[in-house]
Amino acid sequence: MTPTTLASLTPLPVVVPLAGAVLSPLLAWWSLRLPVIVSVATTAASAAILCLFVPTVLHGKVVSHYFGHWGPSHGSVLGIAFAVDAWGLIFALTTSVVGAVLLLYTLSELGHLGPRELGGYAGLFQLLIAALVAAGLTADIFNLFVWFEVAGLASYGLTGFFLERPIAVEAAFKILVLTTIAGFLILVGIALLYAEHGALGFGALRHSLAVQVSSSDRIALGLLVAGFATKAGLMPFHGWLPDAHTAAPGPVSALFSGLMVNLGLLAIVRLLYQVFPLHATHGLGLLTCLGVVSALLGALLALAQDDLKRVLAYDTVSQMGVLAVGFGTGSPAGTAGATYHLLNHALFKSLLFLVAGAIVHRTGVTKLSQLGGLWRSTPSLTIAFIVGTLSIAGAPPFNGYVSLGLIHEGVATTGEHVVYGVMLLAQVLTIAALARAVWLGFLRPRQSAYENEAKARPGMLTALAALAALCLAFGVLGEAALSRLMAPAAAGLLHPHGYVKSLLAPPVARVSPVVVHWSYWERKELAIVVVTVLLGICLVPLYLRRDEPHAVTALRRLHSGSVNDYAAYLSLGAILVVAGFALR
Amino acid sequence: MIVANYVAAALLFVLGLYTVLTRRNLVKMVMGLSLMESSTYLLIVSLAHRPHSTAPVLVEPPPGRTAQQLVTGDVADPVLQNFCLTAIVIGVALTAVFLSAVVRIAQHYRTLDADDVRGMRG
Repeated sequence: MTPTTLASLTPLPVVVPLAGAVLSPLLAWWSLRLPVIVSVATTAASAAILCLFVPTVLHGKVVSHYFGHWGPSHGSVLGIAFAVDAWGLIFALTTSVVGAVLLLYTLSELGHLGPRELGGYAGLFQLLIAALVAAGLTADIFNLFVWFEVAGLASYGLTGFFLERPIAVEAAFKILVLTTIAGFLILVGIALLYAEHGALGFGALRHSLAVQVSSSDRIALGLLVAGFATKAGLMPFHGWLPDAHTAAPGPVSALFSGLMVNLGLLAIVRLLYQVFPLHATHGLGLLTCLGVVSALLGALLALAQDDLKRVLAYDTVSQMGVLAVGFGTGSPAGTAGATYHLLNHALFKSLLFLVAGAIVHRTGVTKLSQLGGLWRSTPSLTIAFIVGTLSIAGAPPFNGYVSLGLIHEGVATTGEHVVYGVMLLAQVLTIAALARAVWLGFLRPRQSAYENEAKARPGMLTALAALAALCLAFGVLGEAALSRLMAPAAAGLLHPHGYVKSLLAPPVARVSPVVVHWSYWERKELAIVVVTVLLGICLVPLYLRRDEPHAVTALRRLHSGSVNDYAAYLSLGAILVVAGFALR
Repeated sequence: MIVANYVAAALLFVLGLYTVLTRRNLVKMVMGLSLMESSTYLLIVSLAHRPHSTAPVLVEPPPGRTAQQLVTGDVADPVLQNFCLTAIVIGVALTAVFLSAVVRIAQHYRTLDADDVRGMRG
């Protein structure tokens, strides 16, 4: 395929699910299951189209396309571009593939709903996936904001999907308030950037910012990072995240946690690495700070939760922190590892949320203190949950081992011993939180039988098996995935000239490669895994026997459930981030 | 004159944020958010301002000006005005979603006090 043909295909992965989103609510009146079947088809088609880019893009090229052929002329750029680089392609492919699996699962779990519900659900789901894929491909900051809002609107509808449940509407209001404020921050940031540089495309912005980064640009970057950190669920912007995950249906929680929160991180990483010159701001340091706080406190809060889905939701906050720390290193190993972890997190967190959703949906029990004994009634769900837990714990041969090892190596090369120590501590707490959930929910014997048995259906099992197999595959094929997928992505981030050049002189440009060294059986990493897993498992009985530590109680009291408080934390975080960028 | 616009936009934004942070009534919070939204419109339109410029409607030059004058930048920046339009459209949709969520909350919880709408915490 010629580069020009390939470039003209860039809008399709977004257009197909968008068209499906429009059609689905109408198709529901014709046949009940049709909208979900169509949505599986459109997301899979989106993934298939994205696969056409794989050979070109992963060989170190960037393909870009200007809509309506409003390309750059006489050095100025007016048009909106989509540019496919390795980082965006991995994000978009992960989204569409995992999204298709989630929709397949939905077909089996929520197939009994009415035409209005199923049509709306399939429509909003595809809308969110289209927005995420578009956010991965777009190379225009205002276009990114529009996709952020589209993703937001779809997520409000999906959060409040069970309209008859009070907590669902409550959660929808919280996510609405926080995401709207984040949207304002982003809009003001974009306006400030445009006023200073007269450009919106990433290529033109980078071209202009490479000359000089003024203090108004720094404030704009601070506002943008704060806004997108809200989407990413980094602390202290995370107030909406646990509630939205708790109230939504299982596949929607999986979509939010595995895919949607990545949008925030994608945008932050694009801005820090590809739009702003890397060392002209404190971006990486601030990202590391946000990441360390989220990783530690998120894991601590996950350990203290009684609701199964809230354990996983706070763990998402923690994992987003780990990703932020990985990208904050600015080293090849750290960025490649964080890209890898983003993919892995999408896989294992979707798997865990699907299992949790299946259990909650079937038994009607949400609290770990009332669950137990699931090992006997549904061994398949238990195995899937344990696979997810092992992946998060970074146990070989599962996928978390490779990505966590790379992030640890990246942090080690920066020489920040405090960050390294906190990361290991957060890892121990994460393992403890999930091991506690495994013990209380699945392995612990339970006296009485459940009112409704949690039986798994074939469609559900297929989706769970697919995700579990992917978790295993990306662990076993770690070195191949690293050199073929993650190293090109890291190269695109660390050497953004290729990305910029493809936008200023479309359609194709070459990225200079980056080599990431990593060996699978390194003794140090294996030792870290053994020690953290053992410590994590030992922590569980200790934690269960004792009263809740005062620090955890205080931390939980801060999460008062009041939307005013969460908005206040967001504002405080935004002020700190903007101040951090402005001061130098 | 345009500095006054920036100051007004900043004041409106802070006022809206103050409402969101301190008022417990959900409808008042939505109003606060609307205020913040309007302040961003004001800021963006003010950023588009250029001294002695006219509106960016380029069907034909306004009386007393030639097409050449418009091309050399004698109009307000149309891109920022487009921003503003897009933001207004998004804002309208958002307000609709907001209010329907508030109606649902009022039906379920029989209250509009954010402190009583705390089914999930900790």
